[in-house]
Amino acid sequence: MSRNNSLFSRTWQLFCSLKLAIVLASLITLLAIYGSLVIHGHPALFGNLDQLSLRSWARQLPTGTLIMTWWLSAAGLLLILFSLNTLCCFIDWALHVRARWRKSGEYLIHLGVILLAVAFAWGSWAGVRSDRQRVYLHEKVPVPGMPGHELIVDAVEPVMNQQGRPLDMLNQVRLVKGDQLLAAEQVRINHPLSYQDLVVVPVSFGQEAQGYECFMPGLGQLQLIRGARIELDNGKILRVQGFYADATRIANGEVVQQSSQLQNPALLLDLSGPGIPAWRGWYFLREQLPFQLVANGIRFWPVTPIFNTYTVLTINYDPGADLALAGGSLLLIGTLLTLASFYRKRRANDRPEV
Amino acid sequence: MLQYQTPLLVASFALYLVAFLGYLMRRPEPGMVLLWPRVCLSLGFLSHSVCLVIRWLEAGYLPVTNLFSTQFFFSWCLVLVFLYFEYRYRIGSSGLFVVAVNLLLLGVALPRDPAIPVLIPNLDTPLFTLHIVFSFLGYALFTMAFSLGVLYLARQLGMQRLLELRQLRKLNEEAIFLGFCMFTLCMIAGCIWAYIAWGYYFSWNIKSLWSLIVWLFYAGMCHAKFIRRWQGTGYALLSIAGFAVVLFTYLGIGLLLESNHPLD
Repeated sequence: MSRNNSLFSRTWQLFCSLKLAIVLASLITLLAIYGSLVIHGHPALFGNLDQLSLRSWARQLPTGTLIMTWWLSAAGLLLILFSLNTLCCFIDWALHVRARWRKSGEYLIHLGVILLAVAFAWGSWAGVRSDRQRVYLHEKVPVPGMPGHELIVDAVEPVMNQQGRPLDMLNQVRLVKGDQLLAAEQVRINHPLSYQDLVVVPVSFGQEAQGYECFMPGLGQLQLIRGARIELDNGKILRVQGFYADATRIANGEVVQQSSQLQNPALLLDLSGPGIPAWRGWYFLREQLPFQLVANGIRFWPVTPIFNTYTVLTINYDPGADLALAGGSLLLIGTLLTLASFYRKRRANDRPEV
Repeated sequence: MLQYQTPLLVASFALYLVAFLGYLMRRPEPGMVLLWPRVCLSLGFLSHSVCLVIRWLEAGYLPVTNLFSTQFFFSWCLVLVFLYFEYRYRIGSSGLFVVAVNLLLLGVALPRDPAIPVLIPNLDTPLFTLHIVFSFLGYALFTMAFSLGVLYLARQLGMQRLLELRQLRKLNEEAIFLGFCMFTLCMIAGCIWAYIAWGYYFSWNIKSLWSLIVWLFYAGMCHAKFIRRWQGTGYALLSIAGFAVVLFTYLGIGLLLESNHPLD
């Protein structure tokens, strides 16, 4: 029993040791210096560290990268030991708080660091990040990490300067669970939607061509977007099955999308009706109408593209965020208390001597 | 009112230069007050502060968003730190290095365009002001700590007309401690702002990582002063090494590498 007590006592002394704290902090610092240069030198491997939680990032690492990532695991281990050391110091102080209450500020800083370390580990493990997610108006987007929850963007209003450069984006965003409205916020720069462990911040916005407004004699302006159905005379039906903003026909005759930029738009059309053979084909808007349409007396001209506005949001779920805020608050209070205590001690000429 | 900023800044520079030369040439006994350089420095600081207030009022925000304004504000912080130690402890010429850095910063800033850029929405938050103020105060205190560390070693090597070793050590510890407190407040404001702006409070960007390195280094130093082996010479050497880390974090990354804190 006394041997066990002695072992526990020695281990406890070690983990309350100031020298251990300095050694661990020094090792973490050196590893972080090394790691920062590795990160900067290998953007292909580390470039998406901020876009994913640490756990997700580690899972998508290709094999054979241990030589460049070992330092992260080592730093993590040292951080765990450092947190344990800090926790033991805090507990030791708390057990003797009557005699050491003057160091409350310093030990609140210690507690804040512990909470931050735990929060970071928790968020890295259980958090989910969805970076730069394109969200169209009125589209319901499932929230990562929060099953059953959805985000809806009701309006996007870009704010431009006099030169036409975008300055800000005003997004009317709702967070719902089924029919229940949980939060609604105008999300803009430095004004996120924050709900429990979820934070939604704006990144960008844009417009994507969804189709074309065309003019057809007899019917006037038509909105040709995916899903549109135009009833023509004699029971003919013209359907729009698809739209590419920038299409090209490849060697085997297949039409594929090259990009989302409006360069060479094409509509996938479907014509059917009584007494006519069904037809399905691509109409490249920069070219002539397909013969099959003209032969059936169908003529229309593209007038203007139809754009759908989208916003680009970062949607992050971090279960450790509140704990991190608590840790930060303790750091703040501890720092202010320590400052006040420092000057009080200096007035009393109280400082450690050699 | 902006038409007064350049004359005020030039006046500050001139007064700082006179004070610097005064401290350099007269080099009083430690603890003695050399009145006229102190007055010149104080008047220069007053002129500098008025200029800062004018710029702040005209801009509607603390203008620290381009290279000119960061140099302007950092030099203001350096003089503030020097005056704190001068009035409190009469360090006199022991703080010459800080005054010299201040002169260098202002000298480089003066030829630049002082126009205040329009505030972009990304920086339109009180957290930006808090982050910047505490950051530069921290850097200024670390600069003072470096200066005191070098003087400690010089005193050990026998250089006279400097403060006593005990006093230098005490001031060095105070500069490190205050710098660490300011930098902690800077990190707290920065992390909260990062969460609001980016959706996460810690970024793996090189600037954020090196800021953490600076914080860890000086946290270690706050503990090292209690270890007998690290007191005195060891602490002075750490202050010098810490300043190298600070220089790389503030200037090296901002000017040489890509980060989320560009200096230009």
